[in-house]
Amino acid sequence: MTQVFYYVFTLIFFLFDYFILAMGLNIQYGETGILNFAYIGFVAIGAYVTGAVSLPNSVGTGQHYILGLNMPFPFNLLIGGLTASAFAVLVALISLRRLRTDYLAMVLISLSLVLYDICNNFVPLFNGADGLYNVPAPLAGVLHLTTNSFIPVIALVTGVIAMFLWWVMSRITQSPLGRTFRAIRDDETVAAALGKNVFRKQLTSMLIGSFYAGIGGGLIIQFGGSFNPSAWLPGETFVVFAVIIVGGVGNNVGLLMGSLLVETLLVHLPAFLPAIPGHPGLIEYIDAMLIGVLLMVMLWFRPQGVVPERVRKSTVIDKLLLNSNGASAVGESLHDEEATSVSQ
Amino acid sequence: MQLFWLSFGFGLVTASVLAVSAVGLSLQFGITNYINFAYGDFMALGAYITFVFNNEVLHWNIWLAIVLAAIVVGLFAVVIQRVILSPFARRFDKTFYVLIVTFGLSLILLNVIYSIWGATVRFYSVPINRALHIGPMLLTAYQLIVMAIAVVLMLGVHVLLKTTRLGKSMRAMSDNTTLAMTSGIDTKRITTITWFLSGMLAGLAGAVLGLTEGNLTPASGELFLFVIFAAVIVGGVGSIYGAMAGAVLIGLATEVSAAFINPAYKLDVAFVILILTLLFRPSGLFARSGKG
Repeated sequence: MTQVFYYVFTLIFFLFDYFILAMGLNIQYGETGILNFAYIGFVAIGAYVTGAVSLPNSVGTGQHYILGLNMPFPFNLLIGGLTASAFAVLVALISLRRLRTDYLAMVLISLSLVLYDICNNFVPLFNGADGLYNVPAPLAGVLHLTTNSFIPVIALVTGVIAMFLWWVMSRITQSPLGRTFRAIRDDETVAAALGKNVFRKQLTSMLIGSFYAGIGGGLIIQFGGSFNPSAWLPGETFVVFAVIIVGGVGNNVGLLMGSLLVETLLVHLPAFLPAIPGHPGLIEYIDAMLIGVLLMVMLWFRPQGVVPERVRKSTVIDKLLLNSNGASAVGESLHDEEATSVSQ
Repeated sequence: MQLFWLSFGFGLVTASVLAVSAVGLSLQFGITNYINFAYGDFMALGAYITFVFNNEVLHWNIWLAIVLAAIVVGLFAVVIQRVILSPFARRFDKTFYVLIVTFGLSLILLNVIYSIWGATVRFYSVPINRALHIGPMLLTAYQLIVMAIAVVLMLGVHVLLKTTRLGKSMRAMSDNTTLAMTSGIDTKRITTITWFLSGMLAGLAGAVLGLTEGNLTPASGELFLFVIFAAVIVGGVGSIYGAMAGAVLIGLATEVSAAFINPAYKLDVAFVILILTLLFRPSGLFARSGKG
């Protein structure tokens, strides 16, 4: 009974955590059209920084890491998120200028590999290949949690954070800023012609998305108490892409669905299956292949995802059309870019 | 100074492997206009197929094994292109979709390799050979052969592109596919042949990478991929000769730097050069018009 209880809350944790990660990638890829193949790198930065600021000074712990500030729960997470954001802006400043989609994707995937290489080899930074461990559990001291009661609490806390971030994200996507993002995604040139500073908006999108990545990563290290390079091979970025493409690009409800289908059911449920004797790791390998196949099948047969993006209508444009010739039916077929030009 | 020349020799070897792989990637990019993110796994596949021919059952000569593996990977690349990539590229206008599909393909291939051959480090069964003194450099016979193969292949690609009808069609397609098609070039056939060549070069590069590094792991191709990207971007994406020059530059820079910094970071030097190129000459050293 306790075992099942533990599994269920682990699954709930990953459901919400990947929902957060998916929202972050969605605003970059789904809303603004930046193909961020380095996404897992920002998640890792969030996780490492969150862990390193909440650990005590590294002298005498047997680990080597920077920071070590003994910082208590929500603040460590915040620092993790903000560091990921700051790093993303730095990366975007260099790479988003004058680079087309595929060049950018090449540079970003290279960045992801180099980050991995440095964290894996440079021990004084985040303890090299061993990674950080013994990271203090959040709220454990305040609520007097034991190892068993900790799991449901962190799952709940992650749920609350996810709901809050969801609310924030829907405010952003409905705002003029969100409309500009989508205009850039659909056609950069048109957005620029309408007077939008495309580069700056892309920077903003990277900043917001990477903050989500950092928070999601921070929660991972808080949940497990440890984090090492084997957790964020560049291929992990693909899992987050699978979540948003399966669930539905540009739709927050879809992202929650995607997280449930891909991360919870496909990635974490099989981890509880008994290993095939004589073939260690075979289940994970087959699992990863399935995710790849699922994504291709989805892209081919249902590229809009399980829950497609809503066609956003502008009330302003409806009124305008109604006043001029009474043809509101025309207004319904209009998409976002047109609405942007009128309503702003 | 001796250390410099030693690492310079290794740099030439790395540059050879890089040149073969970078030209393979560039050829395909020039024709289809999207990057194949599974290229590193094509390389790994070549390395492991060579391993099968060389070790497990057949005990063939390593060079024969490499040639056969290259052909197998070439055919495999054509199948992948026909069955998966071309349909996606035709159906969706934005490059996004194809890029994500190749990224997914890379995940699938990597895990197929893991499931078949496992995560253990493998070795080719080749006799251990003594290093030879070539001037101030110290190289094994295998490394010299790898360098010779690279030079011959580069010359071959040059002759193919400049003198043959096929090469002319490829260059025409790379400049403007629609125009090439209206001029009566069978673009579908050219695309297939290009993918075959690209896959062959990938398979060959993967095998010689395993040979020069002395071991093979499933992720080796994928980790090498960003060095290839660096070579290709530094040279100028889509330019074959740029890719060759970029390969020499990056190959030498990574190995020579290993003489002065911790060798664990030698590949990261490639990334630093990549960033510098992006900052100061984003179109690459040998930029081509129309591909910017």
